[in-house]
Amino acid sequence: MTPSPRSCAPAIELAGLTKRFGDVVAVDDLSFSVPRGTVTGFLGANGAGKTTTLRMLLALVTPTGGNAKILGQPYRELSDPLRRVGAVLEASSFYPGRTARNHLRVCAMAGGLDPKRVDTVLEIVGLTRAADRRVDDFSLGMRQRLGLATALLCDPEVLILDEPANGLDPEGARWLRRLLRGLAADGHTVLVSSHLLAEVAQSADSVLIMDHGRLIAQAALDELISAGQRVQVRSPRAAQLAAALQDQGANVRLLDADRLEVTGATGEQIGTLAAGRSIPIFEIAAQAPDLEDVFLRLTTSTQQDNQDMEVPA
Amino acid sequence: MTRLIKVELLKLSTLRGSYGMLAVSAALTALFASLEASRAGTAGGGVAPLYTASGLSAVTTVTGWSMLFAAVLGVTIAAGEFRHATATLTYLASPNRGRVLIAKTAAGTVAGAVFGMVSALIAAGTGLAFTAAHGYHAALGAGTLAGDAAGAVLGAALFGAIGVAAGSLIRSQLAGVIGIFVWGLVIESLIGGLFTAVRPYLPYTAATTLAGIKLGGAAFGPAHDLAGVAGPLPFAAAAALVAAIAVTLAALAARTTVTRDIT
Repeated sequence: MTPSPRSCAPAIELAGLTKRFGDVVAVDDLSFSVPRGTVTGFLGANGAGKTTTLRMLLALVTPTGGNAKILGQPYRELSDPLRRVGAVLEASSFYPGRTARNHLRVCAMAGGLDPKRVDTVLEIVGLTRAADRRVDDFSLGMRQRLGLATALLCDPEVLILDEPANGLDPEGARWLRRLLRGLAADGHTVLVSSHLLAEVAQSADSVLIMDHGRLIAQAALDELISAGQRVQVRSPRAAQLAAALQDQGANVRLLDADRLEVTGATGEQIGTLAAGRSIPIFEIAAQAPDLEDVFLRLTTSTQQDNQDMEVPA
Repeated sequence: MTRLIKVELLKLSTLRGSYGMLAVSAALTALFASLEASRAGTAGGGVAPLYTASGLSAVTTVTGWSMLFAAVLGVTIAAGEFRHATATLTYLASPNRGRVLIAKTAAGTVAGAVFGMVSALIAAGTGLAFTAAHGYHAALGAGTLAGDAAGAVLGAALFGAIGVAAGSLIRSQLAGVIGIFVWGLVIESLIGGLFTAVRPYLPYTAATTLAGIKLGGAAFGPAHDLAGVAGPLPFAAAAALVAAIAVTLAALAARTTVTRDIT
């Protein structure tokens, strides 16, 4: 690929993006940006608004408000969009009677490409031997690979993938992770939506989390996980330590008479604070949460907030 | 725009369904032309003998099927994209949906012309073969045959465009295909039979008269061969009418369904 020179400008920018379907607000005042040359996971439960957001980004759905830009322009205004942006939005966007090779030939012609590129991407996604089979004979995993081949065909700068790991076997999932990391290393920008949190945790640099049409978190993966880190502390003066930690802004839960669970402070910070106040510590253990923990905690707290805000009739 | 049209034609050429529709259209043309030729000159057959211009023309102009199948192909060009969710890829490649509609209409027109040409060749070949088999001289000159064939090509091309416009408008392939046949074979026959004055202005009837088919000759049921007070529209008027219907449907689609969200 020939990505444009690395620029400070984000590859993807959304500002106040909103979509209503009748009375239902599918996407609510969504704003975020995705830096160039990164893999960004786009997380959310089913119905969170991820797919609608991606479709607005790609000018397939008209926003009710706000705007979305890729490489500084609305998708509709990009010249030769297939050469700038590759997308996989559905696992079955194919005429079932057409062969994989012919499907890609059509896409290559639409992108103004040399048809020889078709064989290259078939090899990249491991479908060379199935190239002349009709798509209706394909498994879901093979269709996903063909969708990825379609997105990669024009070697675009930006890739937008909606649940690309669905239907992939473990080997395919590992292949996808390596592919995404390799693309980012080559300077591509990847925005990948998924509900397979473990998958995103292994391939993304940062994550966006949506819930009920709203963005509830955007952070580097490490930051997000460390922010949700819990530290268990055992001390004979647990209550005194808890008070001191709370004074410093940490969240503390007393597990029993001599055990605390702390969030919002690292083990080092807790140890330093305890030493400064001469509070003995018998045990200190950091428990790093995985992305799934963070995701569930964030979405649960959002749902709780929403319930709290509901006014009884 | 040229690239978009080429893409649409490549889509058609890489699907077996396109060839299947062409084959069915050709087979029905051959079947009905043979039936007309067999009836020609028989008592109660309703078709003049093959040694007359009228009798031979009744066979060589059996090209109405190509127009209906061109329209069906046009429906699949447009509505098939929604049936198989390929509209997403099409609009990603070309976000300007108006240009996509124009390209599809052009592809439907070209494909329709091919349907019309194949049908005209089969109908003319069948008529001339039966005529020769009976030892008659052909009562129609090459100019007349070529003119009717050109009309068939034009009629089928315009019906290909109508199919694309109708498919874009309703976005349901099944409803579109059924609608084309019901309109061409049932509704026009009923309206044409009941209201002979409006008969020349009905789209399928107007398209068939371009190909030299006598007014109502392509209709089924009571409207077939029904004598009426109105004659066929002049060639240019009939062509303009069918083209205007295609453009109106396409414009309506462009203003309504084509701009809808692809969810």
